Amino acid sequence: MKCEQIAELLPDYLQGSLNPDQFREVEAHLGQCADCFEEVAIWKKLSLLPVEQPSLASLARFEAMLQAFQAGRSTQRRNESELKPRASAWTFFRWLRSPLGAMAWSTALLIIGIYAGLHLANFKSRSQDTAAMQSELANMKRLVVLSMLQQQSASARLEGVTWSTREQQLDPQVLSALLHTLRYDQSVDVRLAALDALSRHSAQPQVRGSVVSALPEQQSPLVQVALIDQLVEWHDREAKPHLERLRQSPNLNPAVRQRADWAISKLN
Amino acid sequence: MLQVRDGAGEMLAVLFDRYQTPLFNFYSKLTGDRALSEDLVQEVFLRILKYRQSYRPGTPFRAWVYQIARNARIDHFRKFPREKAFEPEMLPPVFPADSAQEHQEVELLQLALQQLPEEKREILLLCRFQELKYEEIAALLGCELNTVRSRIHRALQDLRKAFQRLTQDSLLRRAEAAAAKTLPPQGGRHEV
Repeated sequence: MKCEQIAELLPDYLQGSLNPDQFREVEAHLGQCADCFEEVAIWKKLSLLPVEQPSLASLARFEAMLQAFQAGRSTQRRNESELKPRASAWTFFRWLRSPLGAMAWSTALLIIGIYAGLHLANFKSRSQDTAAMQSELANMKRLVVLSMLQQQSASARLEGVTWSTREQQLDPQVLSALLHTLRYDQSVDVRLAALDALSRHSAQPQVRGSVVSALPEQQSPLVQVALIDQLVEWHDREAKPHLERLRQSPNLNPAVRQRADWAISKLN
Repeated sequence: MLQVRDGAGEMLAVLFDRYQTPLFNFYSKLTGDRALSEDLVQEVFLRILKYRQSYRPGTPFRAWVYQIARNARIDHFRKFPREKAFEPEMLPPVFPADSAQEHQEVELLQLALQQLPEEKREILLLCRFQELKYEEIAALLGCELNTVRSRIHRALQDLRKAFQRLTQDSLLRRAEAAAAKTLPPQGGRHEV
């Protein structure tokens, strides 16, 4: 056998892991080849190298390190629990930046968007419902007022007039009903109440005109005086010719005429 | 080792008892520097503690330790590039052996080992002194099993040559010294 072939077997020979045949072959070669023999010899000689012992200080250092480590672990546990929220927040952000995280993130946004959209739509429909309910209620009130103003009983009609004052803005139908009541209701009290109700809505243009035109038709001195007082309160200068005409009308209550004179002087 | 991995620091003391001396010898024979070797052994045990979670149960622990040991040394020399070259004084003292010849052989063998390139010295230390199997060395160095065999063979060849050279030099020096004794220097010859 040549040295090259032996060289392949030599490392295993040195570790004693050759089979008996190979072992014998190597032994035979070593008997003839000085170089290979020397190689084995130097391997064996390596065992002569002394095993060095580390210093005792080395053990002391190790024990100090171990103690420091064990002491550090108890504080480390505490620190870990403090650091955890920060760490988890950081890993959460890191996770959001990953493709999977980005997908989850966009899905969450989509769901939030859909929910918000549905919620807003609900809100809108709810506000529509409320408006419908409110208009229905107003409608009902109007019907109540209108039906009460047509009641036989004066007290029911009076209540109807009172009902009408509950609304901030008078419905045109209610307004015309009130004006009708002011002109033609049989009861003085109801007419006075109607005037009172109408006086609250002087901002509506047709109210003043209607009140002025109701003046000549009134027979009751009480209502006439109330109308004159209302016109003075409004400072309605356009009412002056009407007041002049009323003053000259025959069979007028002297108190009413006196009141009309006072009103004309006031409106000048 | 599993107990160390799972946090029982006391078990590390057992490992220290078992591995301190082999690791120290690995480093001291590799670097020839006792103080540095002790530092590196400490570093290895610190790393065992730090990276104990990376030890996979069922894998040979010895190979894992030497992996850490090699990395610790590489990291050390990366941080502190070698300033001092090897000096024979750094070698451990050779205690009186059986004979004067053996004493001298050991001294020359140490010198020869230090003359080898580091990779060759390392592989010889791993298989001869740390008693790692060739398979373990192959895994450690990240090479084929046959590469380990041929590297060991070449390292041994180099060691043999270095040892023979040193032995011849030593014999020559001793012959010269003996000759100088028998033939004292001639008078009138002056050094300038």
